[in-house]
Amino acid sequence: MSEPSRAEPDDASFIRRSRQDPEAFAEVFRRHAPDIKRYVTRRLGADAAEDVVAETFLTAFRQREKYDASRPSARPWLYGIATNLMGRHVRTEVRHLRALRRTGVDPVTAAFADRSDDRVTAEASGPRLAAALAAMPKGRRDALLLFAWEGLSYPEVADALGVRVGTVRSRINRARAQLRRELGGTDVRSAVSEEPVHE
Amino acid sequence: MNEMTRLERFRAEVPRPEMTELRREEQRLRAAMLDPSPGRTRRTGRFRLAAAATAGLAAAAVAAGLLAVDTGPERPAVVHTMPVAHVELLQRAADAAGRTPELHPRPGQFLVYRSMTMNPVESNTEKGHGRYLSSERRTIWMPVEGDSTHAVLESDVLPPKPYPGEKIPPEAYREVGHSGPSKAADFDRTAEWLRNDYAHLSRLPTDPAKMYEHLYAHLGTGPAADAQAWQNIGGMLTEAYMPVAQRRALFRAAAAVPGVRTVGRAVDAAGRTGVAVSLDDPGLGQRDEYIFDAETYAYLGQRSVVIDAARAGTPVGTVVASTAQLSVRVADRAPAVRR
Repeated sequence: MSEPSRAEPDDASFIRRSRQDPEAFAEVFRRHAPDIKRYVTRRLGADAAEDVVAETFLTAFRQREKYDASRPSARPWLYGIATNLMGRHVRTEVRHLRALRRTGVDPVTAAFADRSDDRVTAEASGPRLAAALAAMPKGRRDALLLFAWEGLSYPEVADALGVRVGTVRSRINRARAQLRRELGGTDVRSAVSEEPVHE
Repeated sequence: MNEMTRLERFRAEVPRPEMTELRREEQRLRAAMLDPSPGRTRRTGRFRLAAAATAGLAAAAVAAGLLAVDTGPERPAVVHTMPVAHVELLQRAADAAGRTPELHPRPGQFLVYRSMTMNPVESNTEKGHGRYLSSERRTIWMPVEGDSTHAVLESDVLPPKPYPGEKIPPEAYREVGHSGPSKAADFDRTAEWLRNDYAHLSRLPTDPAKMYEHLYAHLGTGPAADAQAWQNIGGMLTEAYMPVAQRRALFRAAAAVPGVRTVGRAVDAAGRTGVAVSLDDPGLGQRDEYIFDAETYAYLGQRSVVIDAARAGTPVGTVVASTAQLSVRVADRAPAVRR
């Protein structure tokens, strides 16, 4: 289809251009690498993230011929590649989650610990969230975190993971039920300290 | 605070990095960009019809193997010597090439192609996921010399048909209707050696061995290179017209592409049955066919059929796309473009 002229061309037009002019792909990196780096870091920790992010963009660059140019945003595509590559690091991911559940100390955020006040809130339910995340099948975790952390819509998650929207819906529903079960259980402490009375 | 809010806050202290903190990742990408081996030049859309993809909704033609491992022929270019031609159907098509009346377009004129395309479309909306078959009837005015930014396109999207065994999603009907005449493309970055305007095609070699070299220009060796050469042939047949001497050379060169075989019977997008020559594209898990009339050997159209369900993400035998070239004629001018 013809390209509408507008101030900010979409990802598809840079990818298409990069087929003749590889340099154009740098724009795709500039737009999406920060978000993807944060996402991968949040899941795997800083050590594994650098490699996964570099590989994600190398893979995307090599597959740019196959990109469906009728999709304006490259986000689902890139998150899909990153998700595939994170599959090699499942053990690292689960090991970190289990460590957090066991010790209450999160190996992933230790390096960033002094950055934010969110930490205080997050810490209380962290070990139990970690337990629930570690216990779910990877596909379920993939769908849940793309939706909750990255704000992908259900169709975008479906695109990224190469599954149908119905599958995404059921994966996320099950994942949420798992979280609720884990959080809603026995820990009175967090219910008291976190739940504002007027909520 | 519900579980989703808690999850959102989980590890939220991990910061979004600045570009300066992504320097090592960027360097690795830049190194790949500078790799001297030529990139592939597979064009947008399987059959490189400008504006063939269905726009709107969250619809997109089924992208076979979107995340498939790349098998691209990104190797240094090598000299390709044409092997012995082995596909008789293409030899006969070459022999028959001179029997139809020849067009002689002049600079400044247009070649007008009428064609049909059929693509499965996947649509994802809030209500769910659906698949259907979308057909389009189109007319394109291509300049005798110059790229598709100078071409004019008029098209009719026909009522959707069901994907085998599935219901047509309601949004499919929104695409139906007439569009154009409008500019066919706002930019065209087709590589020089892949141009398919008449002026360019008439300058190609008339010797089959030289044409074979042309088809493999900038390609490596092996099945992926053969698949790309086969695609290049499609580019020269689809919404393109070449003098009879070049057409003959093209068919004879195509007959020598390793792996090409004859398919007994194939139906084009207009429902016309012919005989086809086909090459498997292992990277995409499909075979790409060029269909010819069984008696006159006139070129009818193209078709892609799934041969590897896992790769293509669709059952074996599914027709992933098809086209039909209905007519070609010469016109002095293209219709005025509607803004």
